[in-house]
Amino acid sequence: MQEVLQTGWLAGDFFSHSYRISAQVDVRRRTLYELLNDPMTAFLPLEDAYVSSIDRPGDISAAYPASYLAKSNLSLVLVPQRDDVVPRQQTYGAYAGAYLQRVFLTVPSLEVEGYLRLSARVDLRRILSLENESFIAVLDARVRASLRPDVVFTGGGILVNKRHIGVFCLIEEQ
Amino acid sequence: MAKILVIDDNADLLQMVRMLLEQRGGHEVILSAEGEDGIAKALANPPDLAIVDVMMPGMTGYEVCKRLRKEPSTAEMPIIILTARGQPVDREAALAAGANEYLAKPVTMAQLLERVNALLAQAPARGAGGLSGVVALVSLRGGVGVTTLAVNLSLFLTQQAPERVCLVDLCPSSGHAALQLGLRPDPNWAGLALLPTVPGEAVVRAALLVHATRLHLLAAPFVPVVGGGLPADKVRATLAVLRRDFGTVVVDLPSVLTEGTMAALEAADLIGVVTAADQPTIQTTLGTLQALKTWVGKVRLILNQPTPGTAPALEALQRVLKQPFAGAVPFDPAQARALAQGKPLVMSDPNSPLAQGIARVAAGWSGAATVE
Repeated sequence: MQEVLQTGWLAGDFFSHSYRISAQVDVRRRTLYELLNDPMTAFLPLEDAYVSSIDRPGDISAAYPASYLAKSNLSLVLVPQRDDVVPRQQTYGAYAGAYLQRVFLTVPSLEVEGYLRLSARVDLRRILSLENESFIAVLDARVRASLRPDVVFTGGGILVNKRHIGVFCLIEEQ
Repeated sequence: MAKILVIDDNADLLQMVRMLLEQRGGHEVILSAEGEDGIAKALANPPDLAIVDVMMPGMTGYEVCKRLRKEPSTAEMPIIILTARGQPVDREAALAAGANEYLAKPVTMAQLLERVNALLAQAPARGAGGLSGVVALVSLRGGVGVTTLAVNLSLFLTQQAPERVCLVDLCPSSGHAALQLGLRPDPNWAGLALLPTVPGEAVVRAALLVHATRLHLLAAPFVPVVGGGLPADKVRATLAVLRRDFGTVVVDLPSVLTEGTMAALEAADLIGVVTAADQPTIQTTLGTLQALKTWVGKVRLILNQPTPGTAPALEALQRVLKQPFAGAVPFDPAQARALAQGKPLVMSDPNSPLAQGIARVAAGWSGAATVE
């Protein structure tokens, strides 16, 4: 097993309509998935937040040691590892029979391509409307800025705010 | 073993990286939790490589990179950006800021160590001719050619890296470095000695002479100074400034262990003890090595033959001194003319025995200084 330099804090990129915020979240007690989908909290506490405009995502325009992010304004969160976005019950091989469905979706300013991990026949209505979770996991994600196609973000997974989704498409694998 | 500076505000990560680099990599590690402090540590004691986090309070890693690139002593130092901002745009930003390598967290220990060692292997020697930092030349017996070696070594290193070498003549009794270079020793360090406080950057820079080869010189005063010469605190401050401004500082030390001499020896990264083959010099060298035993790890012996005669038996001398020679410079009859003309042999006759000997010393020392 490879030893990874990790500290109990998860670093991710948090995207709103206009900003990219690189920050750390304490995931020692609850996963990022659980934190975002907790209906009892409206804000997500962040540490060491570094703010960039979505137009110039490589430039750090401001930094704050502690901040709170309104989850309702968050379009998506991008993290390096798949396991950091999937629900806990899916992380240890308990999802026998699961398959990956390739999808394309849009949120304000961003286009997303990746895979949903599903256990049964695709039912978009159920995924988008009925399930309680506000944020759904998209694996092996590739995020592109809508107005700057040269700016691409990639990661093991993202959590997408369902309320921000504009278009949601299934992609048939060739 | 290399000296590696790690700048990251995450205390846990700092400790993990330190354990990795020290225990598995066998490197010496300097830690810093924030940018300004990291830059200060890098300038005070330039490392062989730096690992810098991007997201730190006060100053981002990009800004740290840019600042280190502007400083002569760290301009060429390999820098690895290790960051949680792991997107292609971040890689572009890191490289634009001057980083050599970019690693996104989470990174495996094996990956980090592999990249560190690969960059260290690729890195050109940072100082001139492979010698970096402060190189002090000393003999406690006068007349063995310390100044001749210091001047020619400095010129040789300047040929490798113009504008990156400074020679400092700390001799209080009318030092001869300026004379050998054909320069009038004005300004010189007498002005620094008279200051009520330790000299700042501007004052030190204003005291330097520049030779036609672009070698910089802090000359000794023409009129001998009463007392021990430049005081220890001023020697330290002066060398700290010069270390930051130049890749290599060669110090020609007087043949007496004043407090200023001791301060220079303390600050030196490498001490060249110059000896000759005659009996009185051998005896003094044995005593010198004893006096410098605190710094035994950075002491190198160099054999000079300042007078004509048969070449000394190196092996026999090494047995007596109980230490191998890092280099030997033969007698060169052209040296007297070179001294009279103010044109050192490294410059005027690079194929002369003395110039060739200097080249061998520099090569041997750079190996000792960078591979050790």
